[in-house]
Amino acid sequence: MFCWKYLAKQFLMRIDFSVISIGLKTWFLKEIMVIKKSYAPCKKFLVKMIISLACLSVLSLTSFHGAIKKGWAITERNPPSSWFINMNLFSRSAHSNLTCEVCHGTMKEDDKTHPDPKDPDFLRLEAKRIYDYSHCKTCHLQSYDRYLLGEHAKALKKEKESPNMKEGVKSEKRNAPTCGDCHSAHYEKSHLSKVKIGRKMTEICGSCHRAQKVTYLEDYHGKTAVHLGHEASAYCTDCHGAHNCISLKEKKTALLICQRCHPKAQERFAEFVIHPTIENGAKETKDNIEKRKKVAVIKTVSVIMFCLVVLIVSFFYGHSLLWLLRELHEKLRKH
Amino acid sequence: MVENKAEEKTYWRFSVLHRFLHIVVMIGFTGLALTGFSLKFSTQVWAQVVVSFFGGAANTGYLHRVCAVITYGCVVVHILWLCYYKLVFKGSLTGPQSLFPRVKDIKDLYQHIRYFLGRGILPKFNRFTYWEKIDYWALFLGMNTMGLTGLFLWFPEFFSRYVPGYFINLAQVLHLYEAILSVAIKFVVHPVTAHLRPEIFPMERSIFSGKTTKEEIMLKHPGEWESMIASAKDSPPGHLKI
Repeated sequence: MFCWKYLAKQFLMRIDFSVISIGLKTWFLKEIMVIKKSYAPCKKFLVKMIISLACLSVLSLTSFHGAIKKGWAITERNPPSSWFINMNLFSRSAHSNLTCEVCHGTMKEDDKTHPDPKDPDFLRLEAKRIYDYSHCKTCHLQSYDRYLLGEHAKALKKEKESPNMKEGVKSEKRNAPTCGDCHSAHYEKSHLSKVKIGRKMTEICGSCHRAQKVTYLEDYHGKTAVHLGHEASAYCTDCHGAHNCISLKEKKTALLICQRCHPKAQERFAEFVIHPTIENGAKETKDNIEKRKKVAVIKTVSVIMFCLVVLIVSFFYGHSLLWLLRELHEKLRKH
Repeated sequence: MVENKAEEKTYWRFSVLHRFLHIVVMIGFTGLALTGFSLKFSTQVWAQVVVSFFGGAANTGYLHRVCAVITYGCVVVHILWLCYYKLVFKGSLTGPQSLFPRVKDIKDLYQHIRYFLGRGILPKFNRFTYWEKIDYWALFLGMNTMGLTGLFLWFPEFFSRYVPGYFINLAQVLHLYEAILSVAIKFVVHPVTAHLRPEIFPMERSIFSGKTTKEEIMLKHPGEWESMIASAKDSPPGHLKI
């Protein structure tokens, strides 16, 4: 009869664990004595070598650690825009040379009054939702025009046209972003390095597009760009555009984008899946169905591979462990 | 005692080419694992330290490819050697003393596991035991599949002309899991079974010196001794004795 319990019992009975632990100790002590004897002539030299090597490695590791802390720390997020201004932060920001009137001076012309303190909604409305960001256009004309062409502006238009939206009210669902949702008008700093901007944008875009952020960081582009600070790799805006945030579901537009870095890319190159995720409420369009199939294939293959790896590795580890125990047993019995 | 040892007759187990290839594969494989995993697990601090040590993600990727070319070069050299061995030395590539898998290996594995559990004796191994064959074939086949998926990731523009783009995703998945598998086996199981187990602690010297003695042959693979007696030769045909 082939019985696991019987086998395990037999196996455990044959190993005397106290013998093993005592035997291991004597065996290791013996080995150490042999090593000590053979290295006795150059002992001093070896000790010096080991100490200097240890010092060197500690020094180099700490210097690397400094480099990491300096360059790779996740950039701090600006405090959200509210009705009050933190002047310490504002005076260090890119807009610190502007006076309040440059952006807020046209209040009366826009038929807006100062918020009434007796109003029950006083300070409860979201400042970002009320401010007219078309003022940004006077300086950032190109960015503003691009924004108007993009998906974010379309979503904002839809949101404003929908009947149950009141001005300035926080909606339960996600708000369509205006300038102020991505950029902090009061606290944004200028002249950041490309890597820093990239890390920041991954956080900011990812605060709404969560699944996309996760999948981007799992992709080779995101890993090298964000975690390893490789500038030549692609950040969010390198593919989707900085202000005209475009969807790349259409393969022809996607291919054009790919070809900016991979000039030899052909038609089917754009079928590569960077964000293997589909939102739950997404419409069953032709593109989505196709993508869902691809994602299913990729996930099945990875699950199969994972199971294979676990099976093979556990077999070989178990095999080696049994073998080690057996040989230890044999060796100790001889002593 | 020392004089006696010097007089003991030695036999050739590994030719100079095999020893050289073993060392080169060792270095190349370690380089591949180090660079590849530090790119894959780049969220970890140790990976970022390694990448900054190599000089950025681009350089680490470049080094990964250099190591890959070196390691695959070993496979090509080995295949050339096999052809040479077969055609010029008229050696046997599939005989009982070769690395070719045979039914006896499965029987050996079964008997060996019985031996682990204390229910049998050690099987009589031939020149290459079943775990040595597994080590060899895992590397030989693994290098080819890893090479293929690696080429997919190296030249995605070229390959996506012939296959859909999401095959690159599949190549990424296969490359990752096979890397984990081969590292988990080669950096743990291979050193333990070939070098660190009590029978041959601290290391197996024959893969670096090429030499072995009658005592070792009788202990580790007694089946070879009989075939050597039968053919009256010190080493397999075409052995480069250096």
